[in-house]
Amino acid sequence: MVPSDQLKKIQFLDDLPDDILEKISPHARQAVFEPDTILIRQGDFQHLVHMLVSGKICLNARSDTGRVLTLDEVAPGQSFGLSAFFGNFPATFTAVCTTPCDIVVLSGDLMAKLFETDHRTGYTVMRRVAQLFKDRRNKHTEQFLHALSTHPAINPV
Amino acid sequence: MVKIQDLRHIRMLEKMPDRLLALIGQQAQLSIFSTGTCLFRTGENVDAFFMVMMGQVALTVALNPDMDVILENIQSGRTFGSSALISGGPASYTAICQEPCEIITLSGERMQQLFETNDELGFYLMAGVARQYKTSMDARAKMIMKTLDRHPEMKPFIHDIETLTPAY
Repeated sequence: MVPSDQLKKIQFLDDLPDDILEKISPHARQAVFEPDTILIRQGDFQHLVHMLVSGKICLNARSDTGRVLTLDEVAPGQSFGLSAFFGNFPATFTAVCTTPCDIVVLSGDLMAKLFETDHRTGYTVMRRVAQLFKDRRNKHTEQFLHALSTHPAINPV
Repeated sequence: MVKIQDLRHIRMLEKMPDRLLALIGQQAQLSIFSTGTCLFRTGENVDAFFMVMMGQVALTVALNPDMDVILENIQSGRTFGSSALISGGPASYTAICQEPCEIITLSGERMQQLFETNDELGFYLMAGVARQYKTSMDARAKMIMKTLDRHPEMKPFIHDIETLTPAY
């Protein structure tokens, strides 16, 4: 169990109503991980939502040809693996602790069961996830179009 | 009004209980559109959720004044305009029928009202919407990564590259 005031420090959860956080709280677990711990590997199915309380986590993604194209640092308060809420999505990145990390985790399976019995909680959380994914999808689209508009074949020098 | 068995053709609704499909069916409207019909344009307010029963709809954006890019072709069983179910807002693409289309529409405003009184309906539909955004978000990220893989020299031109990783 992780108290709801602790959950409020997580950006993904910070604007959810208190009664919803109280319902999520018993399902959350907090743990400390050593540096170099691999939390999830690219391609593995995600079963846990990870929410960083303190420390640093690197997320990196390999392309089909094996080149690491992106590298990001997860900051305290940020989360990843939200698709664990609806299962069967492979991770699109590998997550590695680069310092000792204090992490709150939520089991996707346990949360799915909670959502099935408490639809209000399910609706509220899924609406939040949908909005986050939508905003990120739109950013990706902008980035893709920007990349395309600078593509030498489309915009020759 | 649309029958439950017709709604079952929509992938997002496949596993939805009949009682919820009946509710959706009461709000739904089936329309036929001819080739070339523009359902909405980039920047216009999207006030309906679209479910394609038959035909194909292209989701396009203008890359420059002379060139449009097809982001996705939406075919039978798939949906678009999900933002109408969350908060509405301006469309980030233009939707054009590529062939004669049978499309089921739901009013976003009416559905959002229903979600306030029926959490179960809200949960099932919102989970479907989140899954759909996740799929298209990953597809876009893959497109960018593929482009950068082939043209690493373009990396400096991609702003906010760190947002490709799914940290929130």
